[in-house]
Amino acid sequence: MLSVLEALVFSTLDYAPALVFAALGAVLSERSGVVNVGVEGMMRAGAFAAAVASLAVPTPLGVVCGMAAGAALAAVHGYLCIRWRSDQVVSGMALNLVALAGGTFLLEALWSPTGTPPIEQLHRWVLPGLDQVPLLRALSGHSSLTYLAAVLPFLFHFALFRTPVGLRVRAVGEKPAAAATLGLSVPALRYGCVVGSGLLAGLGGAALSTSTLDRFEHHMPAGLGFMAVAAMVFGRWTPLGAFGAAAFFALGNALRIGLASSAPGLVEVIPQGFLLTLPYALTLLVLAAQGKKGAAPAALGTPYQPEAR
Amino acid sequence: MQALDDASLEIRDGERLAVVGENGAGKTSLMNVLYGLYQPDRGEVRIGGEAVRLKSPKEALARGIGMVHQHFMLVPSLTVAENVVLGKEPARHGLFDLRAANEHVLATCRRFGFALDPEAPVESLSVGSQQKVEIVKALHRGARTLILDEPTAVLTPQEADELFAVARQLTAAGHTVIFISHKLKEVLAIATRIAVMRRGAVVADVAPGATSVKELAELMVRASPTPLSPSRVEREPPPGAQLPFSPSGAGGEPPPATRPPFSPSGVEGPSTSLRHARGERSSGSDQVEPRTPVLEVTDLTARGSRGRPALQGVSLTVAAGEIVGLAGVDGNGQRELAEVLTGLRPYDAGTFSLGGTVLCNPSPAALRQLGLAHVPEDRLKRAVVGPMSVEENVTLGRQHLPPFARGARIDFAGRRERAARLIADYDVRPPDPTARMVELSGGNQQKVVVARELDATPRLLVAVQPTRGLDVQAVAQVHARLRAERNRGCAVLVVSLDLDELLAVCDRLYVFFEGRVAGEIARARFDERFIGRLMLGARAETDTRD
Amino acid sequence: MTDVTLRARLVRPFQTALPSVLSVALALAVCFLAIVASQGSLWVAARAYAEMAWGGFGDLPKLFAGADASALTRPWGETASKTALLTLTGLSVAVAFSVGLFNIGAQGQMMVGALSAAVLGGKLALPWPLHVAVCLAGAALAGAAYAEIAAALKLERGVHEVISTIMLNWIAVSLVENWLVVGPLRAQASGDNSISGTDEILASAQLPRLLGETSRLHAGILVAAALAVAVWYWLARTRYGFESRAVGLGPEAARAAGIPVAARVYQAMALSGALAGVAGAVLVMGTEHKFPATLGAPYGFDGIAISLIGQNHPLGVLASAALFGALRAGGTRMQLLGVHKSFPELIQGLALLFVAARLVWETLLSRFRREPAASATVEVPRA
Repeated sequence: MLSVLEALVFSTLDYAPALVFAALGAVLSERSGVVNVGVEGMMRAGAFAAAVASLAVPTPLGVVCGMAAGAALAAVHGYLCIRWRSDQVVSGMALNLVALAGGTFLLEALWSPTGTPPIEQLHRWVLPGLDQVPLLRALSGHSSLTYLAAVLPFLFHFALFRTPVGLRVRAVGEKPAAAATLGLSVPALRYGCVVGSGLLAGLGGAALSTSTLDRFEHHMPAGLGFMAVAAMVFGRWTPLGAFGAAAFFALGNALRIGLASSAPGLVEVIPQGFLLTLPYALTLLVLAAQGKKGAAPAALGTPYQPEAR
Repeated sequence: MQALDDASLEIRDGERLAVVGENGAGKTSLMNVLYGLYQPDRGEVRIGGEAVRLKSPKEALARGIGMVHQHFMLVPSLTVAENVVLGKEPARHGLFDLRAANEHVLATCRRFGFALDPEAPVESLSVGSQQKVEIVKALHRGARTLILDEPTAVLTPQEADELFAVARQLTAAGHTVIFISHKLKEVLAIATRIAVMRRGAVVADVAPGATSVKELAELMVRASPTPLSPSRVEREPPPGAQLPFSPSGAGGEPPPATRPPFSPSGVEGPSTSLRHARGERSSGSDQVEPRTPVLEVTDLTARGSRGRPALQGVSLTVAAGEIVGLAGVDGNGQRELAEVLTGLRPYDAGTFSLGGTVLCNPSPAALRQLGLAHVPEDRLKRAVVGPMSVEENVTLGRQHLPPFARGARIDFAGRRERAARLIADYDVRPPDPTARMVELSGGNQQKVVVARELDATPRLLVAVQPTRGLDVQAVAQVHARLRAERNRGCAVLVVSLDLDELLAVCDRLYVFFEGRVAGEIARARFDERFIGRLMLGARAETDTRD
Repeated sequence: MTDVTLRARLVRPFQTALPSVLSVALALAVCFLAIVASQGSLWVAARAYAEMAWGGFGDLPKLFAGADASALTRPWGETASKTALLTLTGLSVAVAFSVGLFNIGAQGQMMVGALSAAVLGGKLALPWPLHVAVCLAGAALAGAAYAEIAAALKLERGVHEVISTIMLNWIAVSLVENWLVVGPLRAQASGDNSISGTDEILASAQLPRLLGETSRLHAGILVAAALAVAVWYWLARTRYGFESRAVGLGPEAARAAGIPVAARVYQAMALSGALAGVAGAVLVMGTEHKFPATLGAPYGFDGIAISLIGQNHPLGVLASAALFGALRAGGTRMQLLGVHKSFPELIQGLALLFVAARLVWETLLSRFRREPAASATVEVPRA
């Protein structure tokens, strides 16, 4: 039993960083008032670029390339939404489609239809001492991204609620006109947040291809980006809430894999398809239970027009 | 459009300057130039003799000029302190120093005698307190000169008194305060100097001791396009006649004597011109008696947007052939009542009936079927669908009836014909039924809305702030239309925050205070000061500070 | 008046369509350059585009070289079956847009529709035309019911439809592909080759082929085209369609005007789901003849692109579906030149991205037109 639990925790921690980073990215963008459903595409760009770069350079540098790729896609999103006041959901979906098809195209043009050649995975850190303790053992042996994903949400939360920049971001997402009359640049703040969101989503994608796995696979991130957006809503647009929701989804995923492998008898009784629906159905239930209490930033999705105050 | 025409204004250190003028006279435009929001085509701003170009509010702030907008620029979900320091946050080790921000707010409050809780979210504050947050915010940014745009428009009279006390303290401390206003009584009471604007230019510069409300009013309106006086409209149209939407004063006739836009503070009571208008009015409308009630409201109770009680047992009636006004300071339940009556807000208790039919939380569609027409307050949100064409908007509310539909199908020919006729009748510009609504000016949008609602020959018309944001001519046209409907036999209910407007068009008034009817006044007994006291409810009786 | 009518009839639709046409052209050009860059040859790129065109619209060179009519009908068949699916999912998205909802769930609704058609087609025994009608109706009903979950969550509980439909997509995939199709509804293995997917549907439930056996052109395209016209009529010509558009473009004004907002949203979402469900039925009854192990391409997501490139106008959807259906059918032939067959999807994605930048086009075009730039309207209505 203990070993099952241990495997469960280990698997969750291995899988969670991608979701956590992407969910934080979604929070960052949407807190500034820009809807980002393009997280999926940004993750894909990040996963692809990180894996491809890691074929040539050390993997940590590859991760940085992945972040840059996510940020580049986000910059396009920002340009369309901020400069040209495009519909933010449409722009995000368009980027998803471009990333989906573009990734497939490049993958096939450069390697095979299924994935890149394997790369050297990020180093997995064995925590001395801890790796001998039963159960706590599961906390050891992860890549640095896992540990970063455990710390970053708290830093982000602190930055959003306890620093001047965080205050400005929140103000811009709630009432941009008010921020503008105080001499703050609404576009600059929003660009910053959207590009930052791309960096985080790219990092999430890179976590998939350099830490969870050791290559880019053709279906990556297979809907994780959308899960991240759901985690953000679930977590009511706060970094810690999104972190909790993302961890919950990761646990749900680990549970599914874990149950299928450790208790095959269970799968006979409860079909695997049912287990698969669990995280999604739970999300819907929780969102329905939360009801209409508005937690979204007030100016979310509304392009800012200086003259239309 | 030219908003300013060679306007010159000098502002002196430490004074309380009032800039007065009619709507559209250019007051706000001039101040926006001063605050860096607009750039002048010609001319310059000099501060301390030095010519400066203020390209943004940031530069104006850097020069010590702060502005409190009529619509507050506060972030509702943030606290008072966060709003005050936003953009210029006190920091310690790169972190936001919340304690210092709170301290700063408290210090400013102590200095000028405000009572503000720095940690309260702004959305929980009253309008008067929010305004104080705005002032503290400007002071925090080092404003020496404060521009207050229509500061008392949304305040109760006591809140206004508090504001004036603050203004005196500010100037005593060496600050300069500029009021933009059209409330002449207030201006005379608070300002140390008054600049009068008309048609984009500053036309007079007077000391409050050397002038009167009457003189100021004359300075403001002289030779400006005049609204139709109530008396003229009264005489002209026979009941039920088609009234052209253009002012009937056109065509070389000398402009009719206008009512002063502001009734004098006069200790002596209503002005002569107003009394004159009223005299004629009551004789005209008395002929419609005896009146049959169209709308009857009994003990209506409803909650507002945040679940707080907004209406607490309201009873009133509106009869055929009269215009009834709902007066009151903003937020005393008038808006919620209009929403209940138009089916947009559910109510908890009480009843209301329309044309004898007793209703129970009716839908807007059911009400329209009973003869309700509705000119909503928020035009682009509630009255029109902006991206749709004028002719499509003309059908809204009757889109399922002839001449706009035949069965399930849209009757394109009928729609086009009716839209073209209304466009011609009401002089909508551009006269293109396929133009999209958002391409029209606010005044023309309102013409379309009024045209559409009145085209249904309603039994009851509910008009909420029907002239908000319109220019003088458009205001006169809307008022003329309301009177024409009244004369036709329609029951008209007007909700307005502008007491002057209600005094001009209504036959009867209900004054609202804290969700209750504080008083009912017939036109013959209209007395602005009495109504003003009712608008303050009981609080006015107990307040003896000034 | 004639002047006004002329403007409304001819100029406005042209002005509306122009950004999309330019966006598609730009996407084609950018992708052309991408092939030139990756293959290092203008010639290869030109040949690849030519192959795509012949593969999508009919192989004219082969026909002139003396081949029989199948040189035309075979590509047409491929194009038509793809066009039918893209049209139906595109219409699904467009109808939801009309009331201001972003239906990302066409994929899931299509899946339950496909499964319903496969089950009804395989288990029921009915005479030919009736069986087809029953399968289509069943699929439409299943898709509609599935979409109503999202509508109810939105209206009753305030759950944003983008999130709920994404979740419902995953739930559909999990339940259908990971449980039903591999479990209770799995086809009986015959002989030693195990079969994936459900049982084949009966011949009486198959959509008839229209151009003989050499072409896979089936009646699905007729269903799709007829529904496109019907949806157009509903939206543009009936008061219900008008009311739905008013709800999408100005929900508060619609409510104040007495339009039953919730009812219109439920109706539009049901129609949206039904169209997606029919898409699934057409895939099963026209092409696959069973529910395959997996639905394959993300047609539901393609529907978003098709709808937006078609400016959410039913006939625009039909046009953009026809174009991208042809490009996709022809795309497979580009593989001969070393260009991956997913290339048309890249064109589609880029075209959508350029369409999203609508204001850029309007600003550029207004310079030529010497009119003030159209005011900044967001192209997607929002509830």
